[in-house]
Parts: sequence; C-alpha cells; structure tokens
Amino acid sequence: MELQDTYYNKSEYVETASGNKVSRQTVLCGSQNIVLHGKVIVQSDAIIRGDLANVKTGRFCIISKGSVIRPPFKKFSKGVAFFPLQMGDHVFVGENTVVNAAVVGSYVYIGKNVVIGRRCVLKDCCMIEDNSVLPAETVVPSFARYSGSPARLITTLPEAMPDLMTEFTKSYYQHFLPTTVQ
Amino acid sequence: MAYLTQPDYVKYICSCGQLKPITSLYFCRHCLKIRCGFCICHEVDSHYCANCLENMPSSEARLKKNRCSSCFDCPSCFHTLSTRATMAQPRQVVQDPAAGGDTKVESKQPKKMYYLSCFNCRWTSRDVGIPDQPVASGGWPERTNPHAARVNQLLDYYKAIALQEKQEKIERERKKFNIRGKYITLTDKTGLTGAMARNIAGLPSSESSSSAIASFVPSQATEEVEELPEDIFTKEVNLNQITSMPQRLASPEWQPSSVSRLHPLAKLLSVKRSQRCRACDHNLTKPEYNPGSIKFKIELLAYYHVPEVKIISHEPVKPGGKSALLLKLTNPTGHEMQLRLLQPEDIPPPEEKEEPKSIEKSLERSLNLEKDTTSLKPIEVTCEQPATSRVSAPDVTLTLAQRDDAAEYDDDAQHDTNDIIMWRKSNKLALRLEVVTDEGAEGGAPAVAKVALQYSYRNTVPPAAAAATPRDHTLYTTVLLDLGTVSSN
Repeated sequence: MELQDTYYNKSEYVETASGNKVSRQTVLCGSQNIVLHGKVIVQSDAIIRGDLANVKTGRFCIISKGSVIRPPFKKFSKGVAFFPLQMGDHVFVGENTVVNAAVVGSYVYIGKNVVIGRRCVLKDCCMIEDNSVLPAETVVPSFARYSGSPARLITTLPEAMPDLMTEFTKSYYQHFLPTTVQ
Repeated sequence: MAYLTQPDYVKYICSCGQLKPITSLYFCRHCLKIRCGFCICHEVDSHYCANCLENMPSSEARLKKNRCSSCFDCPSCFHTLSTRATMAQPRQVVQDPAAGGDTKVESKQPKKMYYLSCFNCRWTSRDVGIPDQPVASGGWPERTNPHAARVNQLLDYYKAIALQEKQEKIERERKKFNIRGKYITLTDKTGLTGAMARNIAGLPSSESSSSAIASFVPSQATEEVEELPEDIFTKEVNLNQITSMPQRLASPEWQPSSVSRLHPLAKLLSVKRSQRCRACDHNLTKPEYNPGSIKFKIELLAYYHVPEVKIISHEPVKPGGKSALLLKLTNPTGHEMQLRLLQPEDIPPPEEKEEPKSIEKSLERSLNLEKDTTSLKPIEVTCEQPATSRVSAPDVTLTLAQRDDAAEYDDDAQHDTNDIIMWRKSNKLALRLEVVTDEGAEGGAPAVAKVALQYSYRNTVPPAAAAATPRDHTLYTTVLLDLGTVSSN
C-alpha cells in the first residue's frame, strides 16, 4: 500500500532552513561534529554520537526512533582511535537499530532491530533486513540483500533500487507532517 | 519490491505469462514487450570478490575455481575472516654459556605477524595450527586436493577421448565427401606410410592421444572396507569436536570430520550479470564494469517504461458488493502518455506483423538457409489467473505528463473537480474507481481484481535508415491487484 501520513507534534521537532527535522527528544552528542545535509529526519530517542568522531549524512536520510548512530573505533597497540561515520543520500535506518559502520553508501535500507558491527562498509544500494546482526568489518556489496545472524547474502535487489529508495525516502519526508492545530 | 518491504500488491503479467511485480520486469524497446527473468538470457559480465571488490578476468576466475585469492571465509560460521596483526618476538638463539661465555642479547625489533580471525564466532587460524604470516594479505598455505592426481588423470582421459572422437568424426566426413580417384593410393590403404609422413612433417603421431587412453586404469570397487574402530560405539562423543554437515560440505575435497581440521575457505566470487532479450538479442541491462559502481550502461527496466500502478487504499471486498478503490498511476517516461483502463478481455489480439522484406531475407529464403522460425516461435501464454473482482473501468482517456525531476519543487497537488481523478501531481495521478465483486466469491478467499491498461509509448530507439517505423505505439498490459481477502459479509 501507499505510504500513509505520519504526524508529529510540531513543538517536539525542530526544522532547520535546509529542511532537516530533528526531534527534541534525541541525544545528539557533539553536535558541532554532526552534519545533516538537508531533508533529514531524526526521530525521537535517537542517539547520534558526534562526540566520538564526525558523523555526516547525505540528503533524505531517515533515522528512526530509538536508533543509535555511533562512529566505529579501532584498537591499536597504543590505545583506541575513532573513525568518522559517513552516510550517503536516501538512507533509511529502522527503529532500535545500532549503526557502527564506517561507511554507509547511498540508497541503503537498514531494517529495525539491526546491529551493524564496527567498521562495516555498506556499499550503495544494499538492504539489511529486520533483526539482522552484521558482524564487525563486514563488506556488503551493491544490490545485495542481507539477513540473519550473522547476516548473509540471501538474494539480490532489483536494478531499479536507487529509484525505489529515492521514491521511498522522498515520500516518507512528504508524508511526515506536523499535526494540524485544531 | 515495488513497495520495498511490503508484499507485492500489484503484479503485471509478463509476455510469457508470469506474474511479477514491476521491479522485476524488463521492457524490451525493440520488441516493445515486457520480459521477466524467466524469458530472457542471463549472461555473466564480470567476476568480482564481494569482500575486496576486485575484478577478476573470467579466465583467471576459472583457473582459481571462482574463488578469491586474498579473501577467506570462516570454515565454522561462513562469515568473512579478518586479518589481525600481532607483535611477535622473533625466536632468540639460546647461546650455550659454556661455549663462548658472553651471551649476546639480540636486540631484534618485534616483528609484525598476521593471522586470520573471525569476528563473529572467534575462530582463528591459530586454532588449527596454521602458522602466522609475515605479510598482511596472501601467502596462506594452499592445500592440495588429496585426489588431485586421480582427478587430473581422469581429466586427461576424457580430453583424449573427446579428441579421438572429434578426429574420427572429421575422418568420417572426409571419407564421405572424398571424391575417389581412379587409383587407390598405397597411403590410403595401409596407413603405414601415413604415419611415416606425419613423422617426417614433425606432427605428433596419432598414438599420443591414445597413450592417455591406454595407460588409464579404471576405478575398481573393492570388497575390503576399512574396519570401524573398536571403540566406535563405546567412546563418548564430544559434539563440540565434530563438524556439522554444512561445514563439511563447504570444503568437499577434504570434508573434515573434526573441528581441528577446519581450514579457511577461499571466498567465492560474485558476478555482475547482463540480461539479453531472447527474441531480438538486444541487451536489456548491462552494468558498468567496476564492481563498486551501481550505474548501468543499458537499463531497460519496466519500471522506466511502463506506467506504474499502485494501490493507495481500498474498501474491504464483499461478495456481490461494490467497494471503492484508489489507485495511483505514474508515468515514468520522458514523454506524455495517454492512458486508458480496459477490461482484460478487451485487449485486441496481437496483430501478426509482416516480416520486413529485404533482399537479404528473400535471398536467404531462396537459398533455404533461413532458420525454421515456426519451430522457434515463442508460445504465447496468457495468464489464467482467476479474478474475483472487476474494476469498473471509466470510459475516459487520461493524460499523464512526462517525468520531470524539477516538478517536485512545484506547488501542492492539483485537485481536479473530476469525479474520477482525485488529484494530479506532475507525472502522477490518483484515480477513484469502483470494484465489483462476483456474487459467488467465497469468504476468506483471496480477492484479486484484474484490469488492463492501454498506454501510448514513444519509442526512443534511433530508427534504422530508411525504415519508416512509427515512433508512437499503443501498448497493452494487464495488472492484477491484490485486495486482501474477500470478507464473509
């Protein structure tokens, strides 16, 4: 079915000039290190850990309720270093998902209750199904659909995936409306 | 996949009769027909490793048995192994104090050593006693197949047989068409001088291929089988030490039975595929060579050429009743589209097109070289999916504007006063329709409505010289709408 309207409380969300809609009930640590490139929705109870390293998202990204975006770390012989987390355009992150990836490409769909391990690389046009666990340092190639724990390639995605994701995130943004004041 | 995560509510009927969502269909703009994965040719374009994303030429891939040379999978959980580094103190030479007296302490730098480790199940290459490597990638010991000699022998044998049969066939053909002279020469008769002539010319004697055949020993079944160990039934089994079936089958050459014999598995390569129309041999999709790229050189998908139908919402379907149905139609092409809704039985039967007459064709026909097309003609299959409901198609022609990426910044949707069209927005429009369900539809049965689309299509293929093919076509397609289940009153 076609996407239905989702309503939000206008006083709860902050809308920036570039069209980002960010809930006030989120934890955005180190906000000077977080770059949202426009028309990004960050829903309530999401956590973005900009204090660890830079977090950059592209346009039309959706960070759902209760998800955690956390830059990955790597252990060296002399301590630990955090790496920036990059996210492309038209990325959907489902509810209660933890993303520790190093790179998330464009047109990526991550389901709900997913754990993306440290320093994973998600290439453009891939899909991680609900309730999957992607172990650390996994590379997910383009047009792959991963599922399970540990997540494995189960099938491929149609060639029109970029357009499908574009349409999905755009219509999600258009259907994400403030409640009209009665 | 048209709805990404939801089931496919709308299915199109492919020209081969298959029911598919629009995202898994292709559109051949040379045949002007919808094709699906079952009625096209799939070709391997390039091999690449899904982990290191490196291309491998197909000849090399065949040589390496379609496996990557630098990436490995965990033999225990099949997740990709990662290389980990450790600082290893090089082994110091223990000097005998009695011999020289002054023990020289070697101040060697600790060396970096690498081993493979699975981040999912914590398996490491040290578990099975593979020594650490001084280089980060590659250099892992390759195991040879215990039956390699026998497999090669078999391969040689079958190659020799194939060669021999080929030669015999050529010989037979030659003899058949050989116009015999009046005199039978000695070389033809005995073959002895033939062998000598081959020897002089430096050609391999015809016996070389037969040597592989002659020396081949066929396998023999023996009565004697290794005895089971005495304690097979009495020894307690430790299931943690025994490999599972998938683990064994992942390495068919060795089939390790105990965990301590699991070795890293070279990662299997993935392929990039291109699709080709079987009827006209034109490419439907062709990906770019680079494994990381998501672009296509050719991308003839139905999603870009056929009007897309989506269900916005519908009322529950009752037997013998009418229910409202809201549909969204999208024109994905760059040209204006005229669209009509029809009943599926109103689609005119496809006209038999006259073959373009050309000199070549008629020549071929006269020479009787043309392939027997009657036997190769694809069978036209029509989908006999029973529909419980009919969509009452309005008798109007709808005009859908072309796709315009800038139009999304325009104002809100236009609300037409028309009672059929709910709203219009750039290349999309929403229709308010009515669904009439059969009286005899059983409650609980899946409710399916069938509707046909007539749409105009502007062909963008550059026309062949002197071929006056029309650029605008009227095409038909049938879609099935899944309306849930028929409610029992």
